[in-house]
Amino acid sequence: MFGLILRRLMASIPTLLAVVFLSFFLMRFAPGSPFDGERPLDPETRLALDAAYGLNQPIIVQFGRYITGLAHGDFGPSLVYRDFTVTDLIWTGLPVSLLIGALALLLAMAGGIAIGLAATLRPNGPLDRSLMLCMTLLTALPTFVTGPILALVFALWLGWLPVAGWGDGAPVYLVLPVLALTLPTMGAVAKLTRAGLAQIMTQDHIRAAQGRGISGWRLIARHALRPALLPVISYAGPAAAGLLTGAVVIETIFALPGLGRYFVQGALNRDYPLVMGVVTLYAALIVLFNLIADVLYGWLDPRVRG
Amino acid sequence: MTAVLDYRNVTVAIEGRKVVQNLNLAIAPSECVALVGESGSGKSQSWMAPFGLSPGVAGGEAYLCGEPVIGADAASLSALRARHAGFVFQQPLTSLSPHLNIAAHLTEAFCQAGAALPDQDTLIAALVDVGIDRPAERLRQFPHRLSGGQRQRVMIAMALAHRPALLIADEPTTALDATLRREVMDLLNRLCRDRGMAMLLISHDLASVASIADRIIIMRQGDMIETGPSDQILSQPTSDYGRELLAATPRLTDPIPVRPVIGAALLAAQDIAVSFPMPGWRRPHLQAVADASLMVHEGEAVAIVGGSGSGKSTLARAIARLGPCDAGEVTWRGLPLPPRAKMQAHDRAGFQPVFQDPVASLDPRWRVADIIAEPAHHLGRGASRQFVLSIMAECGLDANLADRRPHELSGGQAQRVAIARALITDPAMLILDEATSALDVLVAGRILDLLRRLQRERRLAMLMITHDLAVARQLCHRVIVMDQGRIIEQGDTEMLIRAPHTDISRALIAASQ
Repeated sequence: MFGLILRRLMASIPTLLAVVFLSFFLMRFAPGSPFDGERPLDPETRLALDAAYGLNQPIIVQFGRYITGLAHGDFGPSLVYRDFTVTDLIWTGLPVSLLIGALALLLAMAGGIAIGLAATLRPNGPLDRSLMLCMTLLTALPTFVTGPILALVFALWLGWLPVAGWGDGAPVYLVLPVLALTLPTMGAVAKLTRAGLAQIMTQDHIRAAQGRGISGWRLIARHALRPALLPVISYAGPAAAGLLTGAVVIETIFALPGLGRYFVQGALNRDYPLVMGVVTLYAALIVLFNLIADVLYGWLDPRVRG
Repeated sequence: MTAVLDYRNVTVAIEGRKVVQNLNLAIAPSECVALVGESGSGKSQSWMAPFGLSPGVAGGEAYLCGEPVIGADAASLSALRARHAGFVFQQPLTSLSPHLNIAAHLTEAFCQAGAALPDQDTLIAALVDVGIDRPAERLRQFPHRLSGGQRQRVMIAMALAHRPALLIADEPTTALDATLRREVMDLLNRLCRDRGMAMLLISHDLASVASIADRIIIMRQGDMIETGPSDQILSQPTSDYGRELLAATPRLTDPIPVRPVIGAALLAAQDIAVSFPMPGWRRPHLQAVADASLMVHEGEAVAIVGGSGSGKSTLARAIARLGPCDAGEVTWRGLPLPPRAKMQAHDRAGFQPVFQDPVASLDPRWRVADIIAEPAHHLGRGASRQFVLSIMAECGLDANLADRRPHELSGGQAQRVAIARALITDPAMLILDEATSALDVLVAGRILDLLRRLQRERRLAMLMITHDLAVARQLCHRVIVMDQGRIIEQGDTEMLIRAPHTDISRALIAASQ
């Protein structure tokens, strides 16, 4: 197990380098510059700015400098938020995104697996059918539809919760964004759990366990659930990285100061170091969560441990 | 004495179709009754449906230890199974939960009838009883670490852990290789007699149950055809079907079949080696085949025999360029065969494979005629419908099967389709990888007859992988015995059977007797 983790971490280094390389050059080849505004700058100021940030050097030198900085844990300065480094911005945005994402992930996994289990108890019964219909709807509805609907119903009409904003992380402000973020993932988790269980329940080892007089909840919980969760885990790994690093749409709708917002603004402003920083962080998290998913895989199914 | 299991006019229907009719049987303590029949005879449904382990609907009356089985609600039936019955299934590889270790399985089995948690010594003793080596270590292992034979032994230990009154064993040895079959059967027999347990044994192979069953019931298409004490059924079966079943199992004592004359060298393999990477930090390699050389002549049938894991299939695949091959050279009619990645259709035309699982080796979406014609298309020749039908007829397939799909075929028909597909390129040699071992005794016997006819009429050479010497003897001039990836003995079939030089060969011979 330890060997597997180490091997995977080593293998992730070239992946991360490729991501950094591609995103660096893609950003630079996109038209526009961080200093293009409504009003063109006069050429002298422009040159001074380029020189100050090293943008007048050959691109390959810039890349080399960026990689060197990255190796020292330095994401560079933000070109648009002039008084902040990218590291500062990430440290402001990341905790918000992490909190909302982690809550949504937990809720989606717990709720999805519970709903999948409930549906499996009476396969093709009315509960199963109606739950699965709801879950299909949830996965089908994008967050930019569920988000505003939730805000409309619970904030504007019922007035139970604030419409948007962060409120310094007060719990009431978290409910709606977390919920909007949870629902589609929960739908997918529920459907995958249900499908996984349905497949496992026809297998030989289940019939053998039934022969030993094991039935109902015990049969599902002890003999079926763990192998049935394999597809859920392979879905949840990448999904978790997406949830935790800032759901761009949700953060925009609910005006949250998370990472996603910086990402969008950075891209629009050609704030090269900021976009690069967020992309690198995102890639690293994807690698990390896929690794966690692999470790969980090994726990769920000893056969993959080798 | 009251019967442990008592069936009175039991019927089973699946989706309204009767699959078992008016089955009567009674098993006393310490008694073993065998239900024998080919697939589709209803022998498995006759216990699974009444015991609530299949979707079938059971009618009539059945009692386990005096308590009604048919008509009981799911909860009380589940409790009844847990208390009084133990089950051993055909599929040892998949009947254990993959994520629970052996200790967890055994503990559950010990506690299923309400007993207290067993201690480590009890678990170890249970494994020792069923003949598992290094039991303390095995307890911590997960099922995939155990071989098929070991898993079946664990299943048996679990089925007996709660001291049930009845053991139901459904084809307990069919998925095991020949040397293990006898051992596992003897183990079941000994444990049942020692503990005074009643046993219901289900099998397609009359010969294999003969030594341990007290009484035998022969079933066909849901009906009881014949019933009586074992020795009576074995010595003088009263029904034609019983006689047919009895004759179907090949034996080493059968008369020596006439074998075709052999010609020039066809295929020669020199110093073949294959290894597989194993999981682990240092990436060790498992040497699956080492220094294996063999030769097949025109019209000659050569068997590679050995237990599971002996490397016999790996060797055949390496030779046929169907699997990895690390080292060694293969020549076909004197010319070297290119490595696997460079093989073209015409390189393969001379030797065609037939695999163990007939249904899995046919594409489920294709029609039979297209499946058979495919190799000819790859050769650029194509095959006319007329030609496909003539090959089908040669393989004993009716012309009206040409437009069916594989799932509409029986196992025997599917294997005939696979053979027809192999013949369409007019090969000089067939490679048969356990081609009859997934089939019922009767069906396997008919496939062997077909192969023998093809061998005679087409002067086909064969490379046959099998774990059963008696099957090999039906066709093969020579036998090659493998163990742990090496060829340990080879020679003329009759000579080798009469005077084996190695223990492995002796064990294989004993298993086929």
